[in-house]
Formats: sequence, structure tokens, C-alpha cells
Amino acid sequence: MDITFKDVSYIYQENSPFAHKALDNISFHITSGSFVAIIGHTGSGKSTLLQHLNGLVKPTKGEVTIGDYHLSNDKKIRNIKELRSKVGIVFQYPEHQLFEETVEKDIAFGPENFGVEKSEIQSRIQEILPAVGLPKEMLERSPFDLSGGQMRRVAIAGVLAVKPKVLVLDEPTAGLDPRGQKEIMDMFYDLHQKQGLTTVLVTHSMEDAVKYADHVIILNKGNKYMEGKPEEVLSDQKALNKVNLDVPEMIQFLLAFEKRFGMKIPYERQSVQKLAVQMQHLLKGAES
Amino acid sequence: MRRKIIEFREVSFRYEDEGPWVLKNCSFEIYENEWVAIIGHNGSGKSTIAKLMNGLLFPQEGEIYINGEQVNQESIWDIRKEVGMVFQNPDNQFVGTTVQDDVAFGMENRGFPREVMVKQIEDSLQAVGMHAYRQTEPHRLSGGQKQRVAIASVLAIAPKVLILDEATAMLDPKGRTEIMNTVSKVQENKKLSLITITHDLREVVQAERVIVMNAGVIWDEATPREIFTKKDELRKIGLDVPFVAILADELVQAGIAIHDEPLNHEELLEDLWTLHSKM
Repeated sequence: MDITFKDVSYIYQENSPFAHKALDNISFHITSGSFVAIIGHTGSGKSTLLQHLNGLVKPTKGEVTIGDYHLSNDKKIRNIKELRSKVGIVFQYPEHQLFEETVEKDIAFGPENFGVEKSEIQSRIQEILPAVGLPKEMLERSPFDLSGGQMRRVAIAGVLAVKPKVLVLDEPTAGLDPRGQKEIMDMFYDLHQKQGLTTVLVTHSMEDAVKYADHVIILNKGNKYMEGKPEEVLSDQKALNKVNLDVPEMIQFLLAFEKRFGMKIPYERQSVQKLAVQMQHLLKGAES
Repeated sequence: MRRKIIEFREVSFRYEDEGPWVLKNCSFEIYENEWVAIIGHNGSGKSTIAKLMNGLLFPQEGEIYINGEQVNQESIWDIRKEVGMVFQNPDNQFVGTTVQDDVAFGMENRGFPREVMVKQIEDSLQAVGMHAYRQTEPHRLSGGQKQRVAIASVLAIAPKVLILDEATAMLDPKGRTEIMNTVSKVQENKKLSLITITHDLREVVQAERVIVMNAGVIWDEATPREIFTKKDELRKIGLDVPFVAILADELVQAGIAIHDEPLNHEELLEDLWTLHSKM
């Protein structure tokens, strides 16, 4: 589903002394099927933006369009439940939202509420388990007896069981160890590709943005600060430093290399192995 | 010879009788003014070690000594003056209505005289760069600022050991940098052993020594440079290797003879520069 923000502002507690503008006249477009990373500091407006995506809040000004659904301040949202079945949000630390007696019941809770048939839910669970890397034996266990990483997978399975078309991920790897982080991100990327999802990733990790996303949006103090291809936006050290962000580590190194040796190696999402070969050629070449 | 501040002697711990051992037969020492990073996958026993250090948990087997005193029910109040801890979630560790009240809390509990408290509040808030915020309400602070206040609260009771248990995990990159700058400055200026429990590789390379945990046992104990030469083994136990270390390996593969394991960009560039000028 295409997502469009047109001149969107959001003000908390408008017309009160506590009024706070969280989003300030933001416009952007996310094409159906793309993988977008939204980056910004705490307080940049990321979470507020995310809450618009399934109608948890309505814009104070402007309009949000998600597929055929329109959100604006003056209109009551029609078919909000339908919208929420199409946009799945994995919130931060989603394992805190587990509550059922068994893993199976917890995963089934979402689709049951959207009126999905029992037999259909069963077949979805069978399909989702391997995708999130949980063994079948776990279905009968209490989600509270699992490890943190497993609990997070159960919570994610619950979101996927609704079969959303848009998947919104709010810092999905926070608190996991490096292997867990990589496994979860690879899993989302795989789902994104196999199911043709539109994926919106809210993250602090420049490394993940440059690795997985095909479009990035940088927020600063409620404004859209930059937007574009990850390899371009995330190479602009000056602009990013201005808002206290930094370029991904490989780009940091390429810039330091250029400064020291006066030789530029462009960043093209190359592997470290490829980079080593490029450096070898340059250094050997410079000598002859 | 440096003085031992923490000593674990063949410590084993499990949360329930008959349950699986979370720590098995762990022995190690941490010295005065030393900076040690503890790394390991989730569930490897890192945080359990931290909780054993100030008597939030007690081992079923083995002994733990802090500054020469064994940790047990009777000694924990003394021990907790020596070992301060900052946890992951900045919102879970505030009690005061202002920043300075919060810093005072720990000292009040320990019955510090007022004059000492006033001075310690000043000093510790200066040390973490939060003095200008001493009258501020905690909820007006950013995550990084909250964690700096949490560190100040611990410093105010002048412990010998400061433990940061994934204290930067919930912060954004700016917050992380703030904390790491604060901590390294504090550690330089005060006599303090610092233990950082972390997944963040930039925190690991700053430490003097690294203890690597895997499935409840000490897997290795060495300098960051030595640890990161074992790239494949580290990956096998679910850990990451810094970008420079990976690049250095690939450069060697590509025929550039890097001779020392670099820990940061500058070291690698310096090494390349020397090689380059000899080519």
C-alpha cells in the first residue's frame, strides 16, 4: 500500500499551555513494496509519525493517506479496524505485551479479534512459526517461560498472524545481542521480500538503515530534515553531524581514508571484502 | 601490583533449586582503577555477575569478595557503599522530584551529614556535566541526561566500583556518546574501577580488559586487542567483531600485510600509512 503524508502537523494538547508540536508540516511518499528507514533522535517525532500509520492518532493538520484510507482532523476515520488489520505495528519491546496462557493463544489473539476463522488461524500459525524461527513444540508453553529473544518472536508472530500489508517496526532489535539483532532483521527483510510487504523501520542504527532500506527519511525536531537513497543521505557527514547523527561506520572509514590518503573510494554498499580489494588496488596503484 | 577490588572464587549460581546453572564455577579478579568490559550473548550470565557483585543475589557455591570483604547477608550494606550500579532503563531509577533530590537520595539512606551531601551533589553533578540541571524535574531530561544523573547519584556515595549494566542500550547514539564520554572522564579523575556490561563494541574497545561470557562460563579473559583476533570463535558464540578488525583481516587476505590487530580507524590508517610509504 502506498503511504502519503501531505503537510502533516501534529500538536499534543493543542490550545493548552502544554501544547507541543511533535510533527511540523511534514510531507513524504512511501511507494508500495518499499523498505523505508525513519531515523531521528529521541523527541524527533518518530513515534508520533508511526502512530499515524494505523490511525492511533489523527493529524492536527494535513492529511495522511494509506492505500485507500484517509486520515484527517475533520473526518471520522471509516473502516479503522480494517486499516489496523492491514497495518501491523511491532512496538518497542513488544514482548511486554504478551499476556496469554500459551504461545498459541497469544499469536491467535490478533486474528481472532479481526474475525478470522479458527481453521485459517491454525494454518497461519503453522506458516508463521518457521518464518519467525520458533519450533512447533513451543505452542503449548507459556510465553513467560521463554527467553527474551523467543518472547519477542512470539510477539512478532502475533502481528504477522493478522497478515498485514504494511509492517511498521519501532526499533525492533533494541536490547538483543548482536546475533539476535541480525537474525531478527534478516527475518524481517526476508518477509518483506517474500510477502511483498511495505516495511517502515524506525531505527537509531545507521548500519541497519544502509543495509536494509531502499529509502531513508531523517527527522529532526518534528521536521523532515533529509530524504533519499540511503547511500546518498547517509554519506552526508556534515549534514548528519549537524543534527547529532553520524554516518554508518564504513562510510566514516572511507571519509577518514580519503582525508589521510587523498584517494576517494565511493560507497556502493560494497562488502568489506570488496573494499579491501579496492584499497589494495589504490595503494599498490599509487606506488607505480 | 594493583590491589584486588573484586574477587570471584569458583562461583556458581542458579535461580531455582534443581534449575539450570546460570553461572558455573566462575573465577576472576578485578583490580583497583581498572576498566573491564563484560560481554556475552543474552542469557550468558553477564547481568547475574553484576547482581552478585553487590549482593542483589547470592551464589549457591563459591565466594565473592569486595575490597577484601566477603559478600553475604550481613555485609551487603557495607558492600553496597562500595559497589554502585546503573541499569538499562533510565525511567526506572528515578526517585527524586528534582535532579539534586535524586542525587541526595542514596546519601540520605546512608545517613550522610548535610554538609557532605551538599558538597557531593555539587561534585558529582559537575563530574557528569549535569550541574546546570540540578533543579530540573527528571521527566524533562533526555534519556542520556537521565542516565548521567543516575551515574551522579552513584558517584555521590563515592563507591570503589561502578557497574554499568547495559546502561546505554536504550539510548540514542547521541545519548550513548554522552555517557561514554562522561564515564571515561570520571574514571580518569577518580579512583574507580569501572565494569561495563554491554553489546556495544565501541564500549568494549575502550576497556583495558574484556571478560567474555558464554553459557554461564568464562569463555575468555584478555585485552580487547587479543579478544578481537578470535573473530570466527566470537561469531560462533553469538558475538560481533568491530568493523576495523574485519577490514584488517580482509586486507591481509588481499595481500596487505597489516601486522597488529587495529582497534579503531586511526590505528588502521596509521598502519596503512606506514606500509604505504614503504611500498
